[in-house]
Order: sequence, then C-alpha cells, then structure tokens
Amino acid sequence: MSKITVPIGPQHPLLKEPLSFLVSLEGEKVIDSTLRLGYVHRGIEKLAEQRTYIQNAYLIERICGICSHIHSTTYCQSVEALLKLEVPKRGLYIRMLLCELERIHSHLLWLGVLAKNIGLNTLFMYAWRDREIVLNIMEEISGGRVSHAVNIIGGVRVDLNEKHLSLLQKSLQELNMRVDEILQSIENDRSFRARTRNIGCLSLEDIKRYCVVGPVARASGLDIDIRRDAPYAAYDELSFEVPLMTEGDVWARSILRILETIQAIRLCTQIIHNLPKGPVSVSAPRRVPAGEVVSRAEAPRGEVFYYVRSDGSQNPARLKVRTPTLTTLITLPGQLKNMQLADVSAVIAGVDLCIACGDR
Amino acid sequence: MSIEKIVKKLQDVLNIDKPVTKLMPTNEAEITISKQHILLAVKTILKSGIWHLSAITCQQLESDFILLYHFWKSGGLTLRIRVDEKNTQIDSICSLVPGAEYYEREAREMFGIEFLGLPNPIPLLLPDDWQGGYPMRKKEPPTHDKPEDNNHKQKGKSS
Repeated sequence: MSKITVPIGPQHPLLKEPLSFLVSLEGEKVIDSTLRLGYVHRGIEKLAEQRTYIQNAYLIERICGICSHIHSTTYCQSVEALLKLEVPKRGLYIRMLLCELERIHSHLLWLGVLAKNIGLNTLFMYAWRDREIVLNIMEEISGGRVSHAVNIIGGVRVDLNEKHLSLLQKSLQELNMRVDEILQSIENDRSFRARTRNIGCLSLEDIKRYCVVGPVARASGLDIDIRRDAPYAAYDELSFEVPLMTEGDVWARSILRILETIQAIRLCTQIIHNLPKGPVSVSAPRRVPAGEVVSRAEAPRGEVFYYVRSDGSQNPARLKVRTPTLTTLITLPGQLKNMQLADVSAVIAGVDLCIACGDR
Repeated sequence: MSIEKIVKKLQDVLNIDKPVTKLMPTNEAEITISKQHILLAVKTILKSGIWHLSAITCQQLESDFILLYHFWKSGGLTLRIRVDEKNTQIDSICSLVPGAEYYEREAREMFGIEFLGLPNPIPLLLPDDWQGGYPMRKKEPPTHDKPEDNNHKQKGKSS
C-alpha cells in the first residue's frame, strides 16, 4: 500500500497550541510520525538574563497560560534560596493554595479538551463549566483568572480575608461534588472507555527510558511526585495521597487526573483550615549574592525544573527552565505508531501537552 | 542506593579526588568530571538505580561552556563538565538515556555544543532557516535581522 503523509499543525482544529506533526499513513494506520517545536518560542531564558530578578517573576509567569503560578513559585523559591530568605508560613500556604487550585483548573481544562477531541461534547461542557468555579476563586483572590502575579520574591502579594475563606469553603464543596460526578460518569461511560482504552500505551520501561514525569508517568505505574518525594513550600505539613495506576493508556491517565483533582480539592480544604497567622511576605534585597541553585516543583503536568546562577548583580547570569511537556513530547511518535488515524486525536490530547511551556 | 554511596562509587570508578560540592536549597550533590568520562559516568549512575535525568543545563562562562547533567531520584546528583570553546565536541548520552535527546538538541542549537552520536541533529526550537548564530552565547547577542523573505516581498509588489 502506498504511503501518505498528513500534516497535523501548526494550525489545526485538533491542537489548541501550535505544534507540527507529520504523520505517515498506510491506509488508516500510522506507521511513522515526526514532530517539530518552536512555533511559540519566545526566548524567555535569554530575556531573563537581561531583566532584574523582580521583573523576571512576572516574565516567568508568561511561560505558560495554564500553569503560570507554578513557574513563578519555582523561580521565586530558587531566588529565595540564593538570598537565604525565610518566607513566612502564611505566604507559603497561600502559594500552595494557588498551586493546588491551578492543578484543579489545569486538569479540568485538559478533561474538556480530551472530551472534545473524542467527540463527547457534553463532558467537555460539564468540565469547562466546573472549571469556572476555580477561575472565579482565583479571580477573587488575585484579580487574574490565568496570570495571577501573586508570587513575589520573599512571599506573596495577596492575603486571604474572611470573604475569600467563606467563598473557598463553599466553592470547594460544590467542586468536590461535581468532580465526583465526573469521575463516576467517565468510569462507567461505555463510549469514553471505547475511545480511550488501550491506546497511547506507555510501558514502565519506556517511562523510565524517556525520563517522563507527572500524571503520564504515574498512569504507567511510576510512583513519583515531587510534593511528596522532595517537599517544597510546606507540603511536608499536609497529608495527601498520590494516586497510581498501571494500565498506562489514555483511560488510566484520565482516571488518574480526576483522582488527582479530588486530592487537590482535599489539599485546598486542609490549607484553608490550617492557615497560619502572620505576615505573608518579607522584603527582599535587589541584589542577589553569587551562587547556583536548582529548584523543582510538581506542576499539573509533572516535575518542573529551574536552575538559576547569580553573579552577584541585579540580573540572573543564567536561568534554565525545563518543563514537563518536553518529557512527554518525546514519547509521542512512539505512542502514535500503529494507531488508527481516528485515535491520533485522543492520544495527542491524552498526554496533556502545553506547547507554550515546551517552547518557552 | 543512596546518593552518597553513588557519589562514592562514581569517584572510585572515575578516579576523582576533588571534593563534592552542594547545590542549594536541598543540598544536591554536584561532582565535576572531565568530558571524556561522560558515558562511563552516566553508565555508573544508571547501574546504581537512578534513571531520571531532569535536565541538561548549558551555560557560557567567559570562554568555556559548562554542561550540567541533573539526575534525580528522591535527591539530586549533578554532573558538571567543562567544554572548551575551541573544541565543543562531547559524546551524546542518548544511547544510554533516550530522554536526553531534546535537552542535547536544545544545547546544540542555542550554544553550539556538538554532541557526537546525537540521533536527530535538526533544529528543535529555532526556525529551519535561522541565520542568527547561537542565540544563548554571551558574545553573540541575538540578531533582529531576519533572513530575506522573498515571498513576502513579491506579494507586496503584486498588491
């Protein structure tokens, strides 16, 4: 049979962000695929070298439009380590609260995208309707629905008041109920299962070889979570479970992300009940002493890695960002091999790509 | 095997007597090796049970490049390698850690490090027709001159 090459992207209804796939087909079967990044490359690592540490806190947030807060959290905690600053407990708790709200928001957004790609429009609308609850909370706390600019070097710039806490309490209860409903419906839905079971499989061996992190790794049975294994902020003071599955297909990734959302809601509730009193930030000097630091955090898509080197001036000498999407992108050609063309959309959506993160 | 034991083993295998430094904030072990030893060092690390490579950081210090290989397993272990500006070749570790491909490709196009044996040495982030040199190098500020876009010019004339 003759081979046909189909381009998917950089502009394609299937993709929410620009990424280019070249898929080679034999009939309806994918025999090979290559991908090309760089359509949203903004040179943020180079830009950061020309800006001050304070300006960078806002620049870094623009790496990603979904997980913006985790980027500035990881950046700020690395600069704080260089400055040997101790962030007040209340500041750390508010940071963690936004991290977990962002996880809920990211997972619900992803569920909507997957549902849309496999033709389940009702689930897409439910997921995005429920995502509004989180976005409203974030807007109430920080003033921004996606970019929050909450983190500053030395703590956070917003404090929670009684109004915020009562809104959080009410909204989280409602969200918990809604997410439970979603979990039940996707666990039992025959069409969801038919479209996601046994596709895009990754074995535990592959996960380790390609250094994959986050929900994709956990859905294949690799028990890795930075929040538990190398606690940052104040995660060691909270109790939570890390869901684990072994099937390694798109279905397992979906269930796992919903279970993670439930854990994130639990964490948010714990944070607002145990919120320490006191200041939310300490003042930080402009100049950062010379030194090197590495910092890791668990973003909604897995481990995010930062390396900062200071030469004692106001600007970082080198800032390196490694986002979790890069680790999952490299596995995609392998996952797509021998798939039916109709399943390509589910596989691409199933790994939860964030191309803006990957390109930086 | 704990990180301390792995560091000890690396020092034995590679005959290193330099002290191990620590990277903040979690006191990650950092060990300096020569670039000839990269494959042997990565093999030793993989055998000791660490499989996860978080990232490869490349940076320029005056005339030299520094490559940092950040491994992690419930604790970090970083390999530091100095690469001379006049000879930027180093062995690719993709045969041992396939997940390193994108990190090496990025260091290749941004800094001009030549990884020997890199399976897919094509641009990852920069355009195919990029002529602005290596954008992350200190001495070469990124150029804003775009390569000639003939199509665009012709379209402009006809309209």
